[in-house]
Amino acid sequence: MKNRNRTSRLIFLFLSGIALLFIISPIISLYFSSSLDKIFESAADPEVSQSIITSLVIAAATTLIFAVFAIPLAYLLARHDFKGKNLLLGFIDLPIVLPHSAAGIAVLGLITRDSLLGRLADSIGLNLIGSPFAIGLAMAFVSLPFLINSAKDGFEAVPKRLEQSAATLGASPFQSFKTIALPLAKPSIISGLVLMFARGMSEFGAVIIVAYHPMTAPVLIFDRFNSFGLSYARPISIIFVSVCVLVFILLRLLGQKKTSRKN
Amino acid sequence: MLECKNIYYHVDKFILEDFSMKVENSQYVGLLGPSGSGKSVILEIIAGLRHQDSGQIFLGKDDLIDVSALPPQKRNCGYLFQDYALFPHKNVFENISYPLRYVKTPLEPLSESDKKELVYNISKSFNITDLLHRMPENLSGGEKQRVALARTLITKPDVLLLDEPLSALDAPLRKASLELFSSLAHDGLSIVHVTHDIEEINSVSDYIIQMTDR
Repeated sequence: MKNRNRTSRLIFLFLSGIALLFIISPIISLYFSSSLDKIFESAADPEVSQSIITSLVIAAATTLIFAVFAIPLAYLLARHDFKGKNLLLGFIDLPIVLPHSAAGIAVLGLITRDSLLGRLADSIGLNLIGSPFAIGLAMAFVSLPFLINSAKDGFEAVPKRLEQSAATLGASPFQSFKTIALPLAKPSIISGLVLMFARGMSEFGAVIIVAYHPMTAPVLIFDRFNSFGLSYARPISIIFVSVCVLVFILLRLLGQKKTSRKN
Repeated sequence: MLECKNIYYHVDKFILEDFSMKVENSQYVGLLGPSGSGKSVILEIIAGLRHQDSGQIFLGKDDLIDVSALPPQKRNCGYLFQDYALFPHKNVFENISYPLRYVKTPLEPLSESDKKELVYNISKSFNITDLLHRMPENLSGGEKQRVALARTLITKPDVLLLDEPLSALDAPLRKASLELFSSLAHDGLSIVHVTHDIEEINSVSDYIIQMTDR
């Protein structure tokens, strides 16, 4: 019996190892693919640093702005059943399954000069295509489902009884949401925000359709690869992957710190 | 005081037909029935957590006021949930003081020191002053019940609704809890106690309403 358990565990470990290796090995080989000189040379290139800042800033702003709309939606979905809810949930997940270039085309249709939004912008002398606004929209479109789903799961995990209790103690629905549901769902919401930010920051397919400039880091990597080849794209890739990993770890640690301080 | 008049309610296959009840000040009423008979539904309708199809609910200390159309936060109904529903992210002090932030006093808002005094006084009466900084997860069943009661009663509700309040307690605590509820009724509070166990309420209630399936 003991031997059989051991064999099962070894098989599981072996299979898991292959899955992990598949994720880790391209990243590790990337880090060994370029010399330190080339990496520092790329880091000193103002176009590289500007593209990374553009990615980070637009992704952060997009996440925070859309959170204002996504969190109430997640709460309503968690708390209410209605006809067509499953269909609506399917629509929310649609951006995850769409090819990203198709997502970019869809977003582009929203902001062309002929569209309502485009005409509005045109009337005040703005062109939305090729703007940070367009990049933000593309990032939001592909990454919003992560925030909505994570926040919805968080709200669903808050027992309805607690909000009912708050109501009998004098809290209005909004007060109950603010003092009970939101704080208790916070870890899931933060997780969703981090995922949305990370996904948006690394988006390429949708972004390149709506705006080649200003260049985000993924677009610059593609541009360098296309124009100069793999050896020129690698150093920027290493820098951007490092920034992504650092930001991701930092946000996760901040999220955990807030949770453990509360406990 | 509480009065329910001709309450009709239905959801899915459950139907509550023509339910009426009156509970005077200091009266202790038992609502008895098997699981699924609608006892908790009646409490939820009284508290405003569900809305009846027709019929009226009246609440008040001296005069009865029609609260049928009022949302739960405006009804001044004390509700002790079966699992006590303490807020897990707030300590005992914060749980008990929670309703005070929504209290509308006739003259001016309660100051922080007034709130602290009210919380301390009610904690003293329930013998839980040494628990004020604890989190709910670190309380025993009996302690949770007393904290939940303190939280419910701090704003002096017109009626106290008890939803199977003894189910999570062992025998000695059940006896102590019943004595506590009884003393609250003796002090003037109207109480409705929902249970499936007649032994639980036989000795304390003024009368018992039996829910039946048809």
